[in-house]
Amino acid sequence: MGNVTLEHVTKRYEDVTAVDDMNLEIRDGEFVCLVGPSGCGKSTTMEMVAGLTKPTEGQVYIGDRNVTNLPPKDRGIAMVFQNIALFPHMDVYDNISFGLRLRNYDKEEIDRRVDHASDIVQLEGMLDRMPDEMSGGQRQRVAIARAIVRQPDVFLMDEPLANLDAKLRVHMRTEIQRLHKQLETTVIYVTHDQAEAMTMSDRIAVIDSGELQQIDPPLVCYNEPANLFVAGFIGSPGMNFIDGDIVDDGFVADKYEVEFDPSRFGLSSGDDVTLGIRPEDVYPVQNAGRIANQSKEIRARTDVLEPMGNEIFVYLVVDEDAETDLDKPGSGGRLLMSVDPDSDVEEDQEMSVILDRERVHLFDTATGEAVQHGLVEASEFGSASAQAEGDD
Amino acid sequence: MATETGQQTGGEADQGPFTRWVGSAIRNPAKAYRALFYVALVFFLFTTLFPLYWLLVLAVTPQRNLQDIFLTPNGFNPGVFIEVFETVPFHIYMLNSLLLAVITTAIVLLLASLAGYVFGRLEFPGRAPLMLAILAISYFPPAAFLVPLFRLFTGNVAVAGINSPTWYNTPGAMVMPFSALFMPLSIFILSTFYGQIPEGLEDAARVEGTTRLGALFRVIMPLSAPGVATAGVLTFIAVYNEFFFSFLMNDGQVAQSILGIVSSSNHWAPLLQGVLAFQTQYGSLYNLMAAASIIGVLPVAILVVVAQEKIVSGLTAGALKE
Repeated sequence: MGNVTLEHVTKRYEDVTAVDDMNLEIRDGEFVCLVGPSGCGKSTTMEMVAGLTKPTEGQVYIGDRNVTNLPPKDRGIAMVFQNIALFPHMDVYDNISFGLRLRNYDKEEIDRRVDHASDIVQLEGMLDRMPDEMSGGQRQRVAIARAIVRQPDVFLMDEPLANLDAKLRVHMRTEIQRLHKQLETTVIYVTHDQAEAMTMSDRIAVIDSGELQQIDPPLVCYNEPANLFVAGFIGSPGMNFIDGDIVDDGFVADKYEVEFDPSRFGLSSGDDVTLGIRPEDVYPVQNAGRIANQSKEIRARTDVLEPMGNEIFVYLVVDEDAETDLDKPGSGGRLLMSVDPDSDVEEDQEMSVILDRERVHLFDTATGEAVQHGLVEASEFGSASAQAEGDD
Repeated sequence: MATETGQQTGGEADQGPFTRWVGSAIRNPAKAYRALFYVALVFFLFTTLFPLYWLLVLAVTPQRNLQDIFLTPNGFNPGVFIEVFETVPFHIYMLNSLLLAVITTAIVLLLASLAGYVFGRLEFPGRAPLMLAILAISYFPPAAFLVPLFRLFTGNVAVAGINSPTWYNTPGAMVMPFSALFMPLSIFILSTFYGQIPEGLEDAARVEGTTRLGALFRVIMPLSAPGVATAGVLTFIAVYNEFFFSFLMNDGQVAQSILGIVSSSNHWAPLLQGVLAFQTQYGSLYNLMAAASIIGVLPVAILVVVAQEKIVSGLTAGALKE
């Protein structure tokens, strides 16, 4: 019914390729987020599913039907837009029933469905208001009611929460999840906010420069990113990257040394790799007691602290001469560490930190592809990531 | 200037009132501007209102006194406004004009909406030159294509052995050239309006179940109501006031009753012919012509009074588009 398949879908405009050979398979009832930075092609992808844009090449299927050449109205979809897009000249009732009236449902059926939909999104008693008399959250609920009233096979949501204030956004996030649980309809949700994607979806499709980078459940994207882009995009703040070389007994960069046997991961001495480590997997030496697999100690000076309440982000200067990571990612001159809020750290303090080798990611510097997640394999310590790899 | 101020300060008592006024205006330029404003105001009021006043003077002066009137009516004969309808079926001429204007306005609004949608909302190569070309049509002198059009509408043009239809004296012969001439302005107005409706609303309508056309008529047009009203009113007035084709594309005959309009396509002479009908080979009934003109102006005057706010806001909304 509501499964969506994209086969080799490409969208080219005169001078740019917005979407490049996209293959996607979304199962019935699944909640899939398309995430990526602005201009990565995620909205174009959704517009092609909706039928608002025609793919240059490739086929789109909804259910068993090839809908590539069907207009939006015949695709069995409903859409919630970023700018909400309620018809300003119609009241709430007319907005919600617009699609039903176009399809010539009889009056009683329309009334019944509008009542039901406005019930679900808690809009009772507001049916005769005009959109400009409502708050942002109410308008968004009307837009959602307009989408569910037609009982579509697939919901498309294009950054529906982007224009709401932060508090309302978190609230509506839960509302949409509740709605999905209740309706069990396929949802494709476009967002540039990776936190939204992580919390809501069954699977995340990470898109960059018009290409699908990875489509996996949120935690797999987090723990086993397929390449440098996904590693950097998923997670906030992002992963630390350190460019370095493989030598006979592990990885070395200017100030870093991580020991392992490269041959076990199909690497050989002289390979250029980028090491990735999330802030929460960097530990001050004194807190690292329970970490079984530590890297060599790294000398650093604390620069800025960002206490978040439940954790503290510590910006470490590893190499005083190196440019900052913003100017040159991968230099390894700066390192971001997250520590417990009760940790004893101060600004401008010399300290040693270690990396958790089980949580280190290695990427091929040239292609960006992931080479290895966790530098300890199942036979030795039974780390989670190595097990997952064994399952495949 | 310096000497004038010198004189002014020298001795106010021995100056005339005009010199004194000039002196004070120099010290206070706002006074001069205000004076010029009133001069311009009086000038424009006179040039626009005097013809109407003169029509009124002509109309109410009895026929026999028409020879010697100056600025006021010579005698008073209000019955002339009824006489107009007794002499010729003037109401049918008026009805013809109104019908022609309404039909043309409907055609123009429909086609200009489609064109306005394309020019306002779609990107395509050659959009700007094409829009210019369309606007250029409206500045085309009607006299230049009168003769070919006349031949076409009288069935004298044959393409591949088939003669053109004989449309002379039917509404088609007037509605077609009217539409062509007045369409460009409407396209221009509507394209600026339609271009301002957010993309998302059209997308929403299409996802909800309309076609592109459906979205145009159900969402874009209602939201552009001021623009549509402006284009409609301007077209209506332009057609109602038109002289050239109204005069040349029919024989001046009208049906004898209102029902006759519907039953025959041959009696579609508009208002203009109604006024000219008072000009016979035996003489011209100038007082009746003047009265007929005044009656003819009324519908447009009412329309402008009712719609002028919309027209002005519509025209400036287009102009102020950022």
